[in-house]
Amino acid sequence: MKKALIITLSLTLVLGTVFAASAKKAGVLEIWTDKVRYEILKPITEDFEDDYSVDVELSQINYDDIRSQFNKAAPSEEGPDILIGAHDWTGELAQNGLLEPIIMSEDLKEEFTEVSLDAFTYNDSIYGLPYSMEAIALIYNKELVEEPPETWDELMEVARELTNPEEKKYGFVYPGTGDPYHTYPFISAHGGYIFKYEGGFNPDQLGLTTEGALKGLRILDKMYEDGLIPQGIDYSTSQGLFTEGDAGMWMTGPWAISGVKDAGIDFGVMKLPPMDGNQPKPFVGVNGFYLSSYAEDTVLANEFLTNYVATEDVMMELYEKGNRPPVYKPVREKAKNDPTTAAFLESASVGTPMPNIPEMNATWGALTDKLQLISQQKQEPEAAMEAAEKIIKEAIGQGEY
Amino acid sequence: MTNILNESNYGLFFKLIFLGLLDAIGIWASVLLYFQGAYGFIVALLLGAATIHYVFLSDRTYPIRYMVPGLIFLFAFVVYPIGYTFYLSTTNYGTGHILSKQQAIESLEGQYYQPEDPVSYSFEAYKNNQGDIKLILQSNTGDKTYLTGGEELTEVNLGNERFVDSDEDGTIESFGDYELMSRTEVIGVLQKLQKWKPKANGVALQMSNLTTFDQRISRYEYLDEQDRIRDRQTGELFRPEEGTFVSTTTERSLEPGFKATVGLENFSKIFRDPMITGPFLRVFTWTFIWAFMSVLTTFVLGLGIAIILSDSRLRLKPLYKGLLILPYAIPAFISALIWRGFFNTNVGIINTKLLQPLLGLSPAWFQDPLLAKVAVLIVNLWLGFPYMMVVCLGALQSIQPELYEVAKVDGASPFQQFRKITLPLLMVSVGPLLIGSFAFNFNNFNIIFLVTRGEPPIVGATTAGSTDILISYTYKLAFGGQGATQYGLAAAISIIIFLIIGTISAINFHYTGALEEMSENV
Amino acid sequence: MFNTKSVFKRFWSWFSGRGFKHLIMLAVLAFVLYPIIWIISASVNPVGSLSAQSLVPDNPTLENYRLFFLGGADKYNAPFLLWLWNSLKLSVLTGLIGTAMSALAAYAFSRFRFTGRRTGLLGLLLVQLFPQMLAMVALYFLLLQIGDLAPWLGLNTHTGLLMVYLGGTLGFHTWLLKGFFDSIPHSLEESAQVDGASHFQAFIRIILPLARPMLAVIFILTMIFVYSDFILASILLQDTSQYTLAVGLKLFIFGSYNQRWGIFAAAALIGAVPIVTIFLSLQDQIVAGLTQGSVKG
Repeated sequence: MKKALIITLSLTLVLGTVFAASAKKAGVLEIWTDKVRYEILKPITEDFEDDYSVDVELSQINYDDIRSQFNKAAPSEEGPDILIGAHDWTGELAQNGLLEPIIMSEDLKEEFTEVSLDAFTYNDSIYGLPYSMEAIALIYNKELVEEPPETWDELMEVARELTNPEEKKYGFVYPGTGDPYHTYPFISAHGGYIFKYEGGFNPDQLGLTTEGALKGLRILDKMYEDGLIPQGIDYSTSQGLFTEGDAGMWMTGPWAISGVKDAGIDFGVMKLPPMDGNQPKPFVGVNGFYLSSYAEDTVLANEFLTNYVATEDVMMELYEKGNRPPVYKPVREKAKNDPTTAAFLESASVGTPMPNIPEMNATWGALTDKLQLISQQKQEPEAAMEAAEKIIKEAIGQGEY
Repeated sequence: MTNILNESNYGLFFKLIFLGLLDAIGIWASVLLYFQGAYGFIVALLLGAATIHYVFLSDRTYPIRYMVPGLIFLFAFVVYPIGYTFYLSTTNYGTGHILSKQQAIESLEGQYYQPEDPVSYSFEAYKNNQGDIKLILQSNTGDKTYLTGGEELTEVNLGNERFVDSDEDGTIESFGDYELMSRTEVIGVLQKLQKWKPKANGVALQMSNLTTFDQRISRYEYLDEQDRIRDRQTGELFRPEEGTFVSTTTERSLEPGFKATVGLENFSKIFRDPMITGPFLRVFTWTFIWAFMSVLTTFVLGLGIAIILSDSRLRLKPLYKGLLILPYAIPAFISALIWRGFFNTNVGIINTKLLQPLLGLSPAWFQDPLLAKVAVLIVNLWLGFPYMMVVCLGALQSIQPELYEVAKVDGASPFQQFRKITLPLLMVSVGPLLIGSFAFNFNNFNIIFLVTRGEPPIVGATTAGSTDILISYTYKLAFGGQGATQYGLAAAISIIIFLIIGTISAINFHYTGALEEMSENV
Repeated sequence: MFNTKSVFKRFWSWFSGRGFKHLIMLAVLAFVLYPIIWIISASVNPVGSLSAQSLVPDNPTLENYRLFFLGGADKYNAPFLLWLWNSLKLSVLTGLIGTAMSALAAYAFSRFRFTGRRTGLLGLLLVQLFPQMLAMVALYFLLLQIGDLAPWLGLNTHTGLLMVYLGGTLGFHTWLLKGFFDSIPHSLEESAQVDGASHFQAFIRIILPLARPMLAVIFILTMIFVYSDFILASILLQDTSQYTLAVGLKLFIFGSYNQRWGIFAAAALIGAVPIVTIFLSLQDQIVAGLTQGSVKG
């Protein structure tokens, strides 16, 4: 029995040491990023490790999972110190108490476009270091569309000429069926909006039933009615049609460009042409780095962002490999030489930031559904938007978003 | 103890290794838990460890030893999560309420504002042999210089000769026994410096980056005895109410909120809150229709084929059977992903190669609620009927052929034979399997999520889609990524699913007499 | 004239007897094989997009398979082989350990009479009614907590996911095996015990070899369950390099159906091969096991 005890005890000691040694190391900066950004950040994290003699742990996480995983992991202090994300998460994450404002000197703020910082601003604090922005524009196939349309009427004319559903040829496609993001230019062209912007977005001021919104949606309705936009198109399908030369114009964002280039299409990009003299204003999405309020060392994380990421070299790479127009002014100036980027930048410059308030979550479902009904000719814009507004208001009133 | 002596050394050796390993993990985990202050866990751990030792050292509990490995996992990864799910269903855990109350208070206390015309201070850090650290802070207005060891600020004049700047670059290299710290050294003590909040003129300074301290006034304070939060700027008081600090005087409430127990609130929401009840009922109804139709369609096709295949004179039978089983052999997630591509409205082969050329139709499969439902049922039929086929084949073989002979003599038509003999006898053996299949499809997450992802959206719902079943709805509520996460509500729906499945299984046990059988067995 | 009539008559009698059955079978076969043939065709079609595929590809090539083994190369950069390996690793390990644990527990339930046996069996039955995935939120937080103590057991680790699977597969399999052990006569072990073998030795040397076919079925059922699981793996794994094939393939193809169809087809076929092979070779035993109360996932 004695022998047994001794064996047990010594085993305990040995194993205890082994386990203890495997415990987590302290003083680590953890970063969550997607695949593209991972490759770009890898070398600079190594620099940072050398300069500051700290460990940086770079985790590659599926972009769509970052937000929800962060929400769960952060309060248990298991989350990252820095994460990448879209600006419209700001409201929700800040409301959850998970974000730390990023401290930027006035000089550094000057380096970024104003709209990109505004996008990350919530309750007067800047919660993200922006690196790129995106807004949809009109991509056209130069072989099919010889003269790019200067007005929306011209666009419809070109579409009419090119569309031939029998042969699966289309003039104008967009990943539209019910996608509020891609349909927003129709809502905004004549002054419509989802939430009114008054220095911040006001969740109590909805603008879907304003005459401006309805005017644009009537145009959308008409285009579907006349068969100028094919039904049931998702992103992948519209991409297939355009890259195989079966569609003349494609309304979508900069993420599409690499695929179009690969397909060898001779293309041009332009900002959306005006509707009855009014400029359609696409949603502008800004991408950036967030700082967790559960970061082990916020100063260190802030240091990494403001001194290692906010540099011309890194911003340049984020622009080139990420396929999104830059917001960092020095890079932006250089990027303007590229006509594609210039066109997307121009489109973004006329756009409005996507609301970053958490109430925005309440709008997607209702809008998607109603826009689908419009496209299927089952409901008129007036009735559809009235219903959508009612649902959104109720949801916001109940706090269900 | 006699037991130990009687056993072979071999067994003893393993037993000791096992217990040693267990103790090691136990001690190591307790230490870690102790430092984390998770005392409840430690008690659970010690109780568990004591039980296991008892089991392994006492004769009476010999049989239990065989179950210990399994029981550990069962308790840790099934029983405990079930209990935790019940607990979650009584909380408001979700967007806006994901911190603990303590964390929410800390978060609020961490919120600050800057005074008008804020002054910021650049600093250099100095260290003496004892490892004490002091900072020299210089205001950006250039008129103030302070020395601090963390608490107090003392105004100093750098012109004093005890401050040595031998290279005259404006940076003091040493004073007294304090030496200037390198950047790397400063980084080493960052965590410590960030906690320093020395006050200048009543306003606290806090480190904002590696070179500066800024003026920060903490906005809220927590009043312990009253359990209230006070806004220093306005003097307003806030009391905690179901996970949110709400003002005692105005409409205002504070962000972030915190996790709180709300009793049966989630369940009453499901049945009363119009925003949730509507979508929930639709999802609920569709879950039943889906499970029922899944069983019905696969069973009818499977049975039909089984009847044909049980014709002993039919040639090529093994070939047919071998090929027809294929869909069942392919992992369901792969089939589901493939079918999603096939059903694509514009490029999927169902439209482009079948319906369009043959019928001139091009239905929008995933945009139309009804068509989407048909699509998932077709996919499920494809991969589910072989199971029914095989099951029915077995059951048909066990029906005695004499019964049919007798029926024929009595002049029964083939249909009558089917209705009066085949079906009833079949049901005896297949019936429980149908119920089992119903219960399985009730939670058939893979097919729904990987084919339609629950889409298209339901009118008026923020999360639920037309083809969502309860389990995929739960998943979206908790892990959706789109829109708000509501763990509490998700857990409540989990409980409801559990109750339904439990009821179905109880019916099944009753049907098969499984429980009675077991009672006799014991 | 006469001849034609007789041929027709013979055809009709054949048709009404068995012919129409063949016809139905052919129709069902078409339904079953249509997608499979399409996916095989797509995998060897050099035009990788969904919209451009045809049933008989013009210039069949194995390029998509080559790309699979290269992880999609630079173009897609998807570690298919790693995902496949992760899936196989998890399913085989869960199968082995799970079967061993179930066998031990089932042996105790089958051969010993002890207080709490009935409660234990009933409890097992009840617990098993609760599909583990319903507790997904709880499991997530549990692993999050465990990861705080031991990062190699927590979220985003295969060991953590393995433990969850082990807990989830145990109940039902213990029941299945207990039933089987009950059918093995006690006399076999009793004679061994007369020769001085302990209970445990009797279990190892006598019961286990006899139960080998049943153990194989349990092993394979567990394997298939783990291999096909999407929901738990997608919640509990975070890094792309940790994904199982189910999670990885879904991520790879969702939203990019049109462009990635060709390589996806190759990946889907390769991913299906291990399970299809095992299933078809042990078909009868698996179905027998399944009919005892569970349906494949």
